[in-house]
Amino acid sequence: MTKQELRRLDEIENRVREIAIEWGLLTTETIFEVVTAQRVLEGMAYEFPTNFSHWSFGRDYEKYRTIYENTGRGIPYEQVWNFDVPRAFLVETNPLALNAMVIAHVYGHVDFFLGSRYLQHGRSMSYVAEEARNAAARFAKYEEKYGEKAVERIIDAGMSIRWHQHPDPFFEEQDEETVREQLLALERAKLERFRDLKSEFKKKETQKEIEKAERRLEWLASKTPPEPTYDILNYITKKSPKPLKPWMVDVLTVIRNQSRALSPNRRTKMLDEGWATYWHVRIMRRLFEEKMLTEKEHGVFNDFHSGVTHENKRQFNWYRIGLVLLEDVEERWNKGRFGREYDQERNHAKRLSWDTNVGLGRQKIFEIRSFYSDRMAVEEFFTDDFIREQKLYIWVGVPDGNEIIYVIGEDDPEEIRKELKALMSTYGIPIVKVENGNHNQNGHLYLKHIFTGSDLDPTYRNATLANIFQLWGRKVLLETMVDRKDTLVACEMEGKQVKIKTEK
Amino acid sequence: MPIIVSESTGERGRKDARRHREKQKEAIKDRLPEIISNESIITQRKGKVVKIPIRSIDIPHFKPGTGDELPSGMGQGDGSMGDIIGKKKLPNGGEPGEAGQEPGEDYIETEIPIEELIEMMLEDLGLPRLEEKEIENITIELGWKIAGKSKSGIWPLLDSRATAKEGMKRFWSFLRFLESETSQDELTCFKALKQSGGILDEALELIRNDQISAQSDKVEPFPIFTNEDLRYRKIKEDVQEQSRAVIIAMMDVSGSMGKLKKYLASSMLWWLVRFLENKYQQVKIRFIAHHTIARVVSEEDFFGIVESGGTSCYTAYEKANGLIESEYPPESWNIYVWHFSDGEDWDTGKTVEELRKLLAKGVNMVGYGEIKPEEGYSSRPRRPNDLWDVFKENFSLKELKLKQSADMEIMVTDELPLLCVLIESREHILPALKTFLKKDRWAR
Repeated sequence: MTKQELRRLDEIENRVREIAIEWGLLTTETIFEVVTAQRVLEGMAYEFPTNFSHWSFGRDYEKYRTIYENTGRGIPYEQVWNFDVPRAFLVETNPLALNAMVIAHVYGHVDFFLGSRYLQHGRSMSYVAEEARNAAARFAKYEEKYGEKAVERIIDAGMSIRWHQHPDPFFEEQDEETVREQLLALERAKLERFRDLKSEFKKKETQKEIEKAERRLEWLASKTPPEPTYDILNYITKKSPKPLKPWMVDVLTVIRNQSRALSPNRRTKMLDEGWATYWHVRIMRRLFEEKMLTEKEHGVFNDFHSGVTHENKRQFNWYRIGLVLLEDVEERWNKGRFGREYDQERNHAKRLSWDTNVGLGRQKIFEIRSFYSDRMAVEEFFTDDFIREQKLYIWVGVPDGNEIIYVIGEDDPEEIRKELKALMSTYGIPIVKVENGNHNQNGHLYLKHIFTGSDLDPTYRNATLANIFQLWGRKVLLETMVDRKDTLVACEMEGKQVKIKTEK
Repeated sequence: MPIIVSESTGERGRKDARRHREKQKEAIKDRLPEIISNESIITQRKGKVVKIPIRSIDIPHFKPGTGDELPSGMGQGDGSMGDIIGKKKLPNGGEPGEAGQEPGEDYIETEIPIEELIEMMLEDLGLPRLEEKEIENITIELGWKIAGKSKSGIWPLLDSRATAKEGMKRFWSFLRFLESETSQDELTCFKALKQSGGILDEALELIRNDQISAQSDKVEPFPIFTNEDLRYRKIKEDVQEQSRAVIIAMMDVSGSMGKLKKYLASSMLWWLVRFLENKYQQVKIRFIAHHTIARVVSEEDFFGIVESGGTSCYTAYEKANGLIESEYPPESWNIYVWHFSDGEDWDTGKTVEELRKLLAKGVNMVGYGEIKPEEGYSSRPRRPNDLWDVFKENFSLKELKLKQSADMEIMVTDELPLLCVLIESREHILPALKTFLKKDRWAR
């Protein structure tokens, strides 16, 4: 990038911020860093600007690089982190119009970071980026000292269960003893009540209840975890009987913190990208009107913009769907196409020409930005009309000789909504809880899979259990379902090999 | 200023990508039995590389599914129920439903040299009872040889040419960077780079602060090194096995050898031959094909032969005896006779007789592989007059089932260098090869 270009980009950045503020977008100091394409590819693969070494990041890096170098597609344009001071990359070799679009897009994201109640939370995690940078150096030292393989094994194991966190991203995991005290206090209060009753009625049942509560008190005093926990990695890090060495605890803690920081983003992916795209379209339009950018640059922008928002036959393009969703809502709320009266109108022509001129569109989409998750947006705004207009469907891949043929298997709006909602409530992560960390009074780890309609993929399941075993060092059990039957899968050491056994 | 130009950082991505590829190789190792039984490998036997589908490695995690459901997902576009929206060719005709042992994503096809495959599958294997014979029978240590290049090593092994190449690349990229960064001409940037001794940040400072004092009237490129660029020669102990050995490879090509049987037999021999070529310098391989009569043939004919008719196995053993007498005296040759047949034999008595003669000559090993696929149209139950049982009885062999090797059955005895292996499926190819090439068998 030449100095002149840099100067122009600086002017554009200034103007974009002014426009954003004028339109009511929230802004804060934001750093744009001019880097090589390689650097952006690394940023995409490593999840943070700098992060520790792991083959899975290397794999993604190579994947992105191959796409970028061989097809010219997958140009890495946009990489922005939700930090205290948000940080974004601009690629030095990208055309200026594209970099201008990225700046406009990033301002959309920054507003979303500041305004969405989900991502506001993520911002408080921005220390994690600093931690990632330091971890890179620290982990390299561990590799030197304890061997690359040993460090890799711990990272592998930690990554295996990194997304198993409390389903509520705002939930702050409490210290085990605090939880225990709370539960004990509840139980004691119950017992007190029974004691009072006893003096009055001395019933047999009451006596039984008292004994039950006393037993539970005793059980609670030593039960670990006192209450089942979703945060498997946290539990293992703190409680593994192996025991874990301080450097292992360090590695696992870093992995957990990163995953915690990243997971709120998953809940608003569609809205966040849709929002940023919505605003880059409008900001860019302004820049062209104001002649900040040339005619020729307009063409360049159009090419990239349509690349970002194209229909994808075999994937959901969240940039596109998020954008159209917001535009659709804006139009409906501008024309008053909501509420009971509109919903009950069955006359197609009337629906099509419905316009009460209430002009609530902008207000409504800002409300979505502030309070909605993707799941909520799907539930409320993915109407039958919207799904049909957008021509959404579910495809299946059918093997046929040497080929896989992709066929449209479902286009019923109801089914599509259901599928999307399911996808957006668990993000493909089955619910697994730590039930007991001292199972059989023998330090065995007992996990329970909450069945929500699907088995666990057995190959992945077994390999995951073997990884958990790496960290726990003693028998690991998983209660799950296989072919609709309750099944207990156990993982333990037999001789020198890790063995998986299944009991029905 | 909100837009900043950041300094370049080290390339972590490439290093970690390399580790991923290593892991893929490990995964290939686990899938070897499946890979080497792939028919397309031995039919394209002139080639030096094998195309195999490999998957990128995934981090195992709990995920919904049964492991064999059809792929599915969401999409957007024209079309209604049942419409085809796309197609994808599967690599190497592989079956998509085939569940791997390791979690992994989509298959991609990659090329792997056959040599490398053999190294992976047959580590620590070799010809059993290989002895030092009269002449040319010593193992000569030839010192060290250069075997490829690596990124770490000791200074004396630094490969200056390969290193210099990387260094020059860096010089030009630094120069281009300085030009675009400072908008100065090439020569000015070169002077700055020269003055700074190739340190980019310093060169940048020099230009910005107008402190260039180096004199030059043209750009004279010089290599700039960072540790990343250094290329070292890899060395390997260079040992050549000079013991002479002859392999007599015999295969039943009679009418009863159906397609699958023939394939299993030739696959065994094909890999054995490739292995020997790879490992031993001084190994001769002779090929005998037989039905009711036996012929010594070339390798090409041997693997390409289509024959029919009945089976007299003794003719092959007779031919082998003849070859040894005329060309390979056991005093100066290590002799290995390997025979693959489905066990159907019109004159088992004579076969036993010829085999006794062979063993009496003091051959190093006779290996017999009986091909009895469990499935396929050519399957039939084992009969008492098949070679397997005849050998068992006549040579008092012990039958063993190898649990670790897909339940493969073998027969051996300590008294004689005779080994029989029952090959019932593709999965048995790798364990059978390993059984044939167990170096310490019959070791005293």
